[in-house]
Amino acid sequence: MDRPDWAPEGIDLTRPSVARAYDYWLGGSHNFAIDRDWARQVLAAVPDLRLMAQANRAFLHRAVRFMVDQGVRQFLDIGSGIPTVGNVHEIAQRAAPGSRVVYVDIDPVAVAHSEQILKGEPGAAVIMADLRQPSAVLTHRATRALLDFDRPVGLLLCSVLHAIPDADDPYGMVRELVKPLPPGSYVAISHGTLDDLVEEADEMTELAGRTTTPITGRPRAEVERFFAGLELVEPGLVWSVLWRPEEPDETFERPGRSGFYAGVARVPG
Amino acid sequence: MSGLPGFVAAWGRALRAVAYAPLTPPERTTLLAGLAERLAGALAAPAFDPAAGYWVGTDLVAAGYAAPEALGRTLTVLRTRLPGALGGEVPQERVTALVESLAAGFAAAVHERSLDAQESIRLAALTARDRAERKLRESEARIRHLVTHDPLTGLPNRAALAGLLAAAGDRVGLCCIDLDRFAGVNDSLGPGVGDRLLGAAADRLRALVAAGGHRLLRLDGDQFAILLADTAGSEDAIKMADRALAVLAEPFHVDGTEVPLTASAGVVERPAGGEPAELIRAAHIALHWAKADGRGCWRLFDDARSTADAARYRLSAAIPAGLRRGEFTLDYQPLVALTGGAARVTGAEALARWRHPVEGRLGADRFIGLAQDAGLIVPLGDHLLELACQQAAGWRTPDGTDPPHVNVNLAAPQVYRAGLAGLVAQILDRTGLPPHRLHLEITEYALIEPTREVLANLRALGALGVRVVVDDFGTGYSNLACLRTLPLHGIKLAAALVGPPAAAASDRAFLATVVALGHTLGLTVTAEGIETAEQAERMREAGCDVGQGYYFGRPLSSDRIARRIAAPLPRRSWTDDAGSTAESAL
Ligand SMILES: C[S@@+](CC[C@H](N)C(=O)[O-])C[C@H]1O[C@@H](n2cnc3c(N)ncnc32)[C@H](O)[C@@H]1O
Repeated sequence: MDRPDWAPEGIDLTRPSVARAYDYWLGGSHNFAIDRDWARQVLAAVPDLRLMAQANRAFLHRAVRFMVDQGVRQFLDIGSGIPTVGNVHEIAQRAAPGSRVVYVDIDPVAVAHSEQILKGEPGAAVIMADLRQPSAVLTHRATRALLDFDRPVGLLLCSVLHAIPDADDPYGMVRELVKPLPPGSYVAISHGTLDDLVEEADEMTELAGRTTTPITGRPRAEVERFFAGLELVEPGLVWSVLWRPEEPDETFERPGRSGFYAGVARVPG
Repeated sequence: MSGLPGFVAAWGRALRAVAYAPLTPPERTTLLAGLAERLAGALAAPAFDPAAGYWVGTDLVAAGYAAPEALGRTLTVLRTRLPGALGGEVPQERVTALVESLAAGFAAAVHERSLDAQESIRLAALTARDRAERKLRESEARIRHLVTHDPLTGLPNRAALAGLLAAAGDRVGLCCIDLDRFAGVNDSLGPGVGDRLLGAAADRLRALVAAGGHRLLRLDGDQFAILLADTAGSEDAIKMADRALAVLAEPFHVDGTEVPLTASAGVVERPAGGEPAELIRAAHIALHWAKADGRGCWRLFDDARSTADAARYRLSAAIPAGLRRGEFTLDYQPLVALTGGAARVTGAEALARWRHPVEGRLGADRFIGLAQDAGLIVPLGDHLLELACQQAAGWRTPDGTDPPHVNVNLAAPQVYRAGLAGLVAQILDRTGLPPHRLHLEITEYALIEPTREVLANLRALGALGVRVVVDDFGTGYSNLACLRTLPLHGIKLAAALVGPPAAAASDRAFLATVVALGHTLGLTVTAEGIETAEQAERMREAGCDVGQGYYFGRPLSSDRIARRIAAPLPRRSWTDDAGSTAESAL
């Protein structure tokens, strides 16, 4: 991780990217054959994956709108992916004009694409950075220019923490990211889990290993640990479709099939 | 249109399952209500235009409902619920045409959308790849810079030389500049001061070099190099070296201390195109010469000198093997009595020879100096001493009288070594040579300030009965006090004293004085280097006791000298022999 900042980042278009596969599952076309091949294999193993992705995405939207309702006007979206339908800044700005967003992703193509989308958008920026280096994210020029850490910030960690294995200490990363947030800030986390995908578990794990970013599904208790020291808002850590739904969910045979735990917590003080 | 809100609600429920559109339920209701109005209006219009359905399809996609399911469910709701909501007055063909048109608009919009998306992601991939490549190149350039530059001074280093040479023109010059005794500065003032001093030296050289458009490099710790491009001749490079040494000779001030410094330079100038390492090597050899010549100066690389150096080095390195293989042998040059009628051989001087497997037969002048420099003179000298004693012990005269003595040269280190007499005694024992037949020649130089060991050695040798002769007497080091107090047997006059054929009167007077001195001290006086009858006559007149030189005979191999000594009397004149022996010795 101690690579000097002038050392090159790899870009490997011969391996599927989670960011682009996710776009495919959401129904987007911002992907290549290599991504679609892989995305379809995962779909074959987990036919509900499209719906899971959409439900996760919908949670993200609801969480952003919830935070805007609580007065949050600036967001740090880490693992933002390919901005497709409903970018965080669009949603936030529709709810509260003037809201600011810093997108962070490690995928160079996702970042380049975000730049295209954000051209001429003064209220949002994207930076290429690694969640595993929280200080690099927090001290980045764009972060400091757009976000005011004296006022509440909405930290979004949606569908990204499961990309960090325990060995890299994801809990420490979250602690470090939360530390500079003033009271009244909010943290939204959604996290993939195999708790209710028992039959699919093995194949999922195997397929996940083939991407540029392998995946660690975590059981509920381990996901809850991410919120240590924070105040989970109602209804707490729940299946993504059960977090403050705007209308009843008819998608899944049971909520656990949504595959994601989701929760929003407030920074106390 | 009281039935329309019911239709909108049903449509909204149908689209809820394709929920990834970013609309909230109220936003969705507003959108769908607007689209339903347009559809209803089209169906009810007096002149029916199915195109209205097309634009509803595209707007649906634009709002984010782009999944195939969104279309399928929309079509189902339209067919099953819209006519009822409008009161059943609607002709079926209109509904069918409107639905088809909506599907077409939807499909076209999805197509457009995915083409746009594909293009934008390709562009993003290209951008990302370009960026990665640029970073790679930057990092390569950075690494190349790190590899080819010295971090302290920022100057290009040895690794950069090849690149700089490639652009240097037809002829190039390289001045390798080394700060004299820099290690001492570093040790006494500390490495911090050393580094600042290096930086200051680099700055001066940089200024000097920049003016001429040349390049400055840092080769090593305290070593810089100036690369001159397009030189016209060695003069250019020499001038640069001269100026560089001059700017470095100005005292430096580091941390308030004046640090005087000198530098030496090795200069090479030649056509471009050779190996960089070769160029540096040549400059280093020249630098070595400059250091050997006392530092603070420059030397120009010269191929001949370098070749000779290399040959000397190779020869010197071969001495130990030569010793092991017995390649060192002796020739003998007769010593002839100048007094008492016919030339009588009284002794022979053993002269070292090296039967080198490649170089052939080498005289002492080619390797004794090398052996001395290489610290091998003692083993070599001991070997030759033993060999001479052994061979001389075998000499026999025809009439059974005492055979001639053998003169063996000792190098200064041998004379200084404690226990010399003991060693000589052992050798005499082993070889059976009587002590009085061994004459050891030592140079005057060894006696300038005789140490306790030297004195002890000389006395012990005297006690042993071995004779000691001072070689090359009269070359300037004469210590007359020594001559008087030391147990010496004779002196050999330096060849210079034998002098030119027509020596001046003053030279003759000097010669006579020296000979008289020798005789006063009871020493035998030998004259070396006698080449003509005239010289022989002059030496006899001057009172010399013994003569040596080509006039009396060239050096002979050990076999031949033994045969010559054994030849029946009266022997032929040594003089007749002179020409032939030299040839046969070769
Ligand atoms: C599945 S997408 C999630 C997109 C969005 N946050 C959402 O929930 O809809 C996960 C994203 O996380 C990014 N990601 C994975 N590991 C990351 C890391 N260590 N640092 C930053 N981003 C990372 C991936 O490139 C990908 O774009």
